[in-house]
Amino acid sequence: MRISTNMIYQTGIARIGDLTAAQARLQEQITTGRKMLTPADDPVGATKALALRQAASVNAQYAENRQAAMYSLGVEEAALNGVTDLLLAVKSTIVSAGNASYSDTERGFLATDLRAALEQLLNLANTRDGTGNYIFSGYQSQAPAFVESAGGVSYQGDMNQQQLQVSASRRMNVADNGAGIFQAAGNDLFQTINDIASLLETPVIDATDADALIAGLSATMDSIDAGLDTVLTVRAAVGTRLNELEALETFGQELDAQYEQSLSAVEDLDYAQALSDISRQQIILEAAQKSFVMISGLSLFDYF
Amino acid sequence: MGSSILDIGKTALQAAQVGIAVTGHNIANAATPGYSRQEVIQSPALALNQGFGYVGQGTQIVTIQRIYSELLTRQVASSLSTVGELDTYTAQLSQINNLLANSSAGLAPAIQDFFDSVQSAAANPGDAAARQSLLSSAQALASRFQGLDHRLGEIESGVNAELNASVSLINTYANQIAQLNVAIEAASTASNRPPNDLLDQRDQLVADLSRLVKVDVVQQDDGKYNIFIGNGQSLVVGNHAYSMTTVRSATDPSRLEVGYINSTGDTITLSSNSLVGGVLGGLIQFREQSLDSIRGQLGLVAVTLGEAFNAQHMQGYDQNGSAGGVFFSIPAPAISEHSGNSGDAVLDVAIDNVAALTGSNYYLRYDGTNYTLTRTDNGAVQTLGSLPQIVDGVELDITTGSMQAGDSFLIRPTATAAGGLSLAISDIHQIALAELSSAGDADNGNALALAALQTAKTALNGSASFEDVYAQLVSRVGNKTNELKVMSAAENSTLDGMISAQQSVSGVNLDEEATNLLRYQQAYQAAGKVMQIASQLFDLLLTIGH
Repeated sequence: MRISTNMIYQTGIARIGDLTAAQARLQEQITTGRKMLTPADDPVGATKALALRQAASVNAQYAENRQAAMYSLGVEEAALNGVTDLLLAVKSTIVSAGNASYSDTERGFLATDLRAALEQLLNLANTRDGTGNYIFSGYQSQAPAFVESAGGVSYQGDMNQQQLQVSASRRMNVADNGAGIFQAAGNDLFQTINDIASLLETPVIDATDADALIAGLSATMDSIDAGLDTVLTVRAAVGTRLNELEALETFGQELDAQYEQSLSAVEDLDYAQALSDISRQQIILEAAQKSFVMISGLSLFDYF
Repeated sequence: MGSSILDIGKTALQAAQVGIAVTGHNIANAATPGYSRQEVIQSPALALNQGFGYVGQGTQIVTIQRIYSELLTRQVASSLSTVGELDTYTAQLSQINNLLANSSAGLAPAIQDFFDSVQSAAANPGDAAARQSLLSSAQALASRFQGLDHRLGEIESGVNAELNASVSLINTYANQIAQLNVAIEAASTASNRPPNDLLDQRDQLVADLSRLVKVDVVQQDDGKYNIFIGNGQSLVVGNHAYSMTTVRSATDPSRLEVGYINSTGDTITLSSNSLVGGVLGGLIQFREQSLDSIRGQLGLVAVTLGEAFNAQHMQGYDQNGSAGGVFFSIPAPAISEHSGNSGDAVLDVAIDNVAALTGSNYYLRYDGTNYTLTRTDNGAVQTLGSLPQIVDGVELDITTGSMQAGDSFLIRPTATAAGGLSLAISDIHQIALAELSSAGDADNGNALALAALQTAKTALNGSASFEDVYAQLVSRVGNKTNELKVMSAAENSTLDGMISAQQSVSGVNLDEEATNLLRYQQAYQAAGKVMQIASQLFDLLLTIGH
């Protein structure tokens, strides 16, 4: 079979060209660290990588939402902590107000303490978070939850609870509205403290007044106790939610690690294999080049 | 007798000279593309009857023949068509493959960033910065869609440009072949011998032409080539070359199609399935089978995302307490009327059900009784008795006028969506994040629902999210490019084999020519010796007279 001189050159160069192109491709894989350079290299892998990236991104967003939830609940927890301490202090004031030996003046001092406690309770009920939102106002976080007027303290928030998507399947309440804490079931803590302060400011003149004082103190204790129960119940719920967030955080981090691993398996280059491939192809390329020069150098004209 | 020996020597000398000349011509053209090696065909000269026998009178050159196999040459040309088509389709599709390759510049990160900003706004709906960030990433998403669509538009313009270039090159080759037909006939009749180099040139032109478009070659009795393309349109007939041209598409003025100028001067548009093979076939296949449906699918992602987001947005309330308005502006489906329509129907197309959209384009035709709707990506045909109708999530209706038989419209429900997607809101207070009309600062009810759209199955009849639709698009492009690369490699391999076979018959081998040189040189020397001996014989004769 005849081989034309052209074909000797063309096939030789074509093969060397192919080998050089393969080298260049390996080089690109090594410098980018990826075995899949375009979707054509691995169409199934490309789809997988897109899906993994989206899942990882959504997962990261849930983690951020959890941070936001933990912050909100933390602010609420701190406020409720303050309310608890305050109610306990009010209770001890009430107890000492029951001291029969106190005069009107001393009860007057206790009343002043209670008025101060009322202001503090109002402040706590109108706690704002770092961005200035009122945390106990339900959805109406732009306005204080409670306002004081001649008729008493009234709630001007709404009954909704803000939620956040803290995992793929969990939307969590991250706020509680003030009406359900400070004025639950008709038990208005502000009214109670206001009333008992007014009662302590009233001079006890006769037995009716004394009876009224004892009854008032007793009723106030009941109210404060009920209020304390409510606050502690809400605090427990907040605590449960914070625990759940921690568990979700751990799970989320595990998921994250899994996504990274899967993504790496699809995309990343096996360096050991690639480097061994490149040195093997190097040898083949050198052999092809040498043999090409040898074969193309053979010519009858050399012997003329 | 002596002088005839001289003559015999002379014929031998001449033959050897011609042999060396032809060998030299082969050596000089060893690297010329399309060159077939030539060899001298000698035959003995007419013998003289000398009574005692026939005495040969030397040699004569019958012809100089080119070593050529018509079958192999035709096979190479045919393979060049296939290779041209595959290489072109691969190269064009690879542009889109590379476009989608960069994982940080693609569409997916832009969609993810957008929904990240929705989630951040859900965590703090009253915060102006979070709202502004949402608008900014929505704008970035729209820009990314536009950018991708723009690049696809550039690729389409590139196809138009290459069509033009290919068509003008085809015309050039056709003219040259016609001219060679004339020259070859003239040269053949002048000497009654084949004009080898001209024949080689003509075959090389046919091979070059085959790379551009598949052609059929028929040789006339007088040796001229007639060249046919497509469904039998004549490109070259004898001495005359017809022209191909590009024409604006009747349904889409931004698109060029291939046309043919016939003998009466009319331009006929060639249908896309009649032009196969070569660069031309590859470009048209790419455009019809891949580019259109890729653009449609990208638009489908835009429509699905936009419509789903709009629908949820309108269920919420903004910071002014008003119900949410349109968030993304989505272009309406594109309708193109065929310029040859005789009816006056005005077609109206609206999206009725996003989940049922397919991303394909459609041709609506009227035959006098029925309407037929043909999908351009898979050719599926549906017959509709009357309009209005809702098909594949799209509502078709004629608002005024009516169609005549033979009218057709091109409907592109999603193809323009990616390029035209834009943000309809610029005021952060108009973002409807709240679920109640009281719209408190902490009301993020609608924002939570908007964020959940990212993973919701809103497309393809509830089987896919819009990120899934995008992933399907990437996968299709990757698969098709991969398939084309493999086919292209296989076909190139076949072409190499055929060229090798052809070259083993017609190609010049320098060692062989070196041998021929030696042979003819020795023949020349021997012939010279014959003449020398003849001369010496004559001198001897002359000395006898002394």
